[in-house]
Amino acid sequence: MPPKQTKGEYIETDTGNKVSRKSVILGSQNIILGGKTIIQADCTIRGDLRRTVAPGQHSGNVAIAVGRYCFLSRSSVLRPPGRTHQKTFSYYPMKIGDHVFVGEGSVVEAALIGSYVHIAKDCVIGKFTIIKDCVRIEEGTVVAPNTVIPSFSLVSGRPGVVIDELPETAQEGLELKNLYRMI
Amino acid sequence: MAPRSITYSFPTVHISCPCDESIAITPKSPTKPSAPAALEEDLEESEEEETFDPRAPRSNFSLFPLDNLLYCEDCNQIRCPRCVHDEIVCFFCPNCLFEVPSSTVKSEGNRCTRNCFSCPICFASLVVTPTGEEQAGPYILLCNHCLWSSAEIGIEFEKPTSIAAQLAQKLKPPSLARAPSGSFTSPLSPMSASSESYFPSMGAPTIITPDDEVDKKELSPEERFIKLKAHYAQQRAGAGADEYGSSPGALSRLMGLYSGLGSGSRSRSFGRGIGGFSNTGGKGKPEWTEWDTVKEIGDDEEELVERIKEVGFAGTASKEQRIAQSHQPRFIQDLKPLAALLRTKRSKRCRACRHILVKPESKLTTIRFRIKLVAMNYIPALSISRLDPTAFNYVALTPLSTHQFLLTITNPLFDPINVTLATPAKTPGNYPSTVTILCPTFEVGANTDVWDEALQTATNTPTPTIKKGRKTGMLIGTVWDMGRNWTTVVIEIVPPLLPLPGELDEDGNELATEDDRVVQVPVSVRVVYETDLERDDGGLGKEAKEKREHTYWSVLGLGRISEKMPTKAAEDAAGPSAARPMSLVSAPGKSVIGRGSAGEEVSGNKNRHSVR
Ligand SMILES: [Zn+2]
Ligand SMILES: [Zn+2]
Ligand SMILES: [Zn+2]
Ligand SMILES: [Zn+2]
Repeated sequence: MPPKQTKGEYIETDTGNKVSRKSVILGSQNIILGGKTIIQADCTIRGDLRRTVAPGQHSGNVAIAVGRYCFLSRSSVLRPPGRTHQKTFSYYPMKIGDHVFVGEGSVVEAALIGSYVHIAKDCVIGKFTIIKDCVRIEEGTVVAPNTVIPSFSLVSGRPGVVIDELPETAQEGLELKNLYRMI
Repeated sequence: MAPRSITYSFPTVHISCPCDESIAITPKSPTKPSAPAALEEDLEESEEEETFDPRAPRSNFSLFPLDNLLYCEDCNQIRCPRCVHDEIVCFFCPNCLFEVPSSTVKSEGNRCTRNCFSCPICFASLVVTPTGEEQAGPYILLCNHCLWSSAEIGIEFEKPTSIAAQLAQKLKPPSLARAPSGSFTSPLSPMSASSESYFPSMGAPTIITPDDEVDKKELSPEERFIKLKAHYAQQRAGAGADEYGSSPGALSRLMGLYSGLGSGSRSRSFGRGIGGFSNTGGKGKPEWTEWDTVKEIGDDEEELVERIKEVGFAGTASKEQRIAQSHQPRFIQDLKPLAALLRTKRSKRCRACRHILVKPESKLTTIRFRIKLVAMNYIPALSISRLDPTAFNYVALTPLSTHQFLLTITNPLFDPINVTLATPAKTPGNYPSTVTILCPTFEVGANTDVWDEALQTATNTPTPTIKKGRKTGMLIGTVWDMGRNWTTVVIEIVPPLLPLPGELDEDGNELATEDDRVVQVPVSVRVVYETDLERDDGGLGKEAKEKREHTYWSVLGLGRISEKMPTKAAEDAAGPSAARPMSLVSAPGKSVIGRGSAGEEVSGNKNRHSVR
C-alpha cells in the first residue's frame, strides 16, 4: 500500500474529488466531476475546448463530464475531440463513466467512455472513439480515431484492435473503489 | 478461446482445472482417495504421481487465472473455458453495435452487412468519408490510422449507406455478370479436371470441355462460392426429404465429395467408388494419399512473377494481411476491405451436469448478468508479493540464495475456512528449486458483506491468540500476518544454479532453456469448512451444519532465475552441497507436506540478497 500522500497535495471537493494542485485544468467551469475521482499531478484537462456555437444560440456548457471513482494518473491528458463539420470547426463534449482508469502519460480524445474501463499507460485514444463498459486497453496501445470498442474487449497494438474477450469477472477486476481509498 | 500460456510477467498465480482427468463425463471431486497404507515405496510413488507438474505439456492447457474460472455448485467443482459449453444468446456487430438476428447470420454470414469494415493493411476500422465538395459523394472507406483508402484499389461509393451491398456489387467479377450461374454443370470443375470421378454412382452429367478449362482461370472465390452453394442446393433437393448427413448414404456421398476435392487433379484414383474413405483395405483404415505436390511454375504463374518484379517486396501482402482475406491475395493491390466479423453474447453451461453457470442479460448494451457463478466467489484467492518490499524485481532471482515471498490467501466465503497448503520440496523440472512453506496449515477468517465492512472496519479484529510472524519474527508454524478474511504466510525458495545460456550438451542442445529459468511452484490448496445447510423449505436449520472440502492445484510463478553467479556469501549461506548444481538434478523430488516440525527460527534478514 503506498504511503498517504503528503498533506496538501490534493484539493478535496465537497463530493470527494481529489485534484492535485500540480494538475493543469483549463476551463474548469466546463468540467463536471462525479465525485471520488482522483486527478494526479501534471494531468491536463482541456475544459476550455468547448463546442463553438453561433452567437445567440445556447448549448450545454459541459466540455468534459467524468463519473465517479475515476483515476487520472500522472501526466495524462483529456482533450475533447474536434472536427470540421459544414465548414466550421467545433469541439464536441467528452463523456466518461464511472471507474475509469487512465494510465500515466495517456492521451484521451474519445467522445464516450463507458464504466469500468482501464486504459494503461502511454496509450493514445483517438478522436471520437467510443469505448463501451468493461474494456481493458493494454500499455502503449494507439486506438485509431472513430473506433468503436464493444464491452468485454481486450485491446492492444498500434492500431489498437480487439485481441481477446474479457472474462465475466471483468467488472470486479476493473472496480476502482479500493484505489480511491488508498489515496 | 485458447488457454493463456504462462507469461513472463511475475508473479503469476494460475489454477489448474482438473477437467483433463475427468473430462465432461461425470462430476468428480478433485480429491483422490488417499493411497492405502501399503508399502512405503508405493506410497512414495503415488505421492509423486499426485504432484502437479506445471512443465508437463498438458499443463499449459489446464492452467487459468482465477478470473477466467467459473464454478458449478451442483458438481462442487471449478469450471474452465474447456469444460463449459457456450450457447449463443445473440450476435452483434462490434462496430455499429447492432444486433443481428440468427436467421440473418445463417443467410448472410457472420459479418456485418451495414457499413462496418476494417483496413486490409493495418486492421483499424474504416470510416466512410466523402471526397466531393460540400461533404458530398463520391465516398470512400478511409483508414484513420494508416490512411489507406478504398480509392487505392479503385473503389468509390455513390452513397454513404449500405456500403456492404455496394461493395459486393463492385467486387462482383465481370464473368459472373456475363454468364448466369445455372449454366455451369459442376461447381467443382475449376478445382479439378477429373470431376467425373466424384459422382460416378449418381451419374452426374459432368462433361469436361475446353470451355471449362478457360473458365477455370477466371473463377473468383465469389463465383466459386455461388456455384458451390447452388450445387449443394441442388444436391439437397435431389436427396429428397433426407436431410443432409442424416442418412449414412448422404454422409458417405459428402465424404466422397470432399476427399475427391482434396486430392486435386493430380490424383484420379482417390475418388473411386462412393467416397474415398469407404474404399479401404482390410481393417477399415482410411487410405492416405498425397494431398498435393510441389508445383513448378507454370505458364499461368509467369504473370505473377512479372508482377512481383514490378511491385517489389513492398507491394506484396504480409502473412497477416493474406490470411485475413478470403481469397488469399499475394499483392497489396488485391487486398479488399474486411467486413467486420460479428461477435456474440454467450451463456455458459457446465459440461458435466448441464447446469447453467453464466447467463448474460439479453439486452445488447448491458454488462449485467442474470446468472454468474464465478470461481472467485467460491474458492480462496492466492496472491504473491515479496517479503522485502524494496525487492520488487522478480526477473533476476539470485541462484542458491533464499528468497522469501508472502503468499496471501483471501477467503470469499462467509464461513471461516481451514487451509492446508502442500508443495513438493523440490519443484518439478530438470533444475528444481527448493521450496518451503513456513506455515502450511492455518485458518482464514470469514468474508463479510460490504456493509459490515464499512461499519466495522477497525473493530473486526482477527483472532488474538494467533501469533503473527510479522511481529514476533519468522517462526516455523506461524502465519506472517492476518486480517478479516485473509491470512499471509511466508514461502521460501532457493533457486538452483543453472548452466549459462549457450552451454551445450553433447548433442548440441542447450543445457538450460529459458523455460528452465522460470521458478514455477505447484501448490495444492485444500480448503475445509463448515457451512449452514440449506434446507429445502428455505429456512436455515440451527444445527444443520455441513462439512465441505475442496482441493485444487495452483501454480505460482515466482520469478526468473538470474544468469549471474551468486556471490561468495550466498554460496556459503546455501551450504557447500548446494554449490554443485548437478547434485540437485539427481535429487529426487519428494513430496513433503509442511516441513516445519521443530520451532527453528529463521531470521528475516539472513540469506536475503536484494536483487535489482
Ligand atoms: Zn476445465
Ligand atoms: Zn456493423
Ligand atoms: Zn489502415
Ligand atoms: Zn456441473
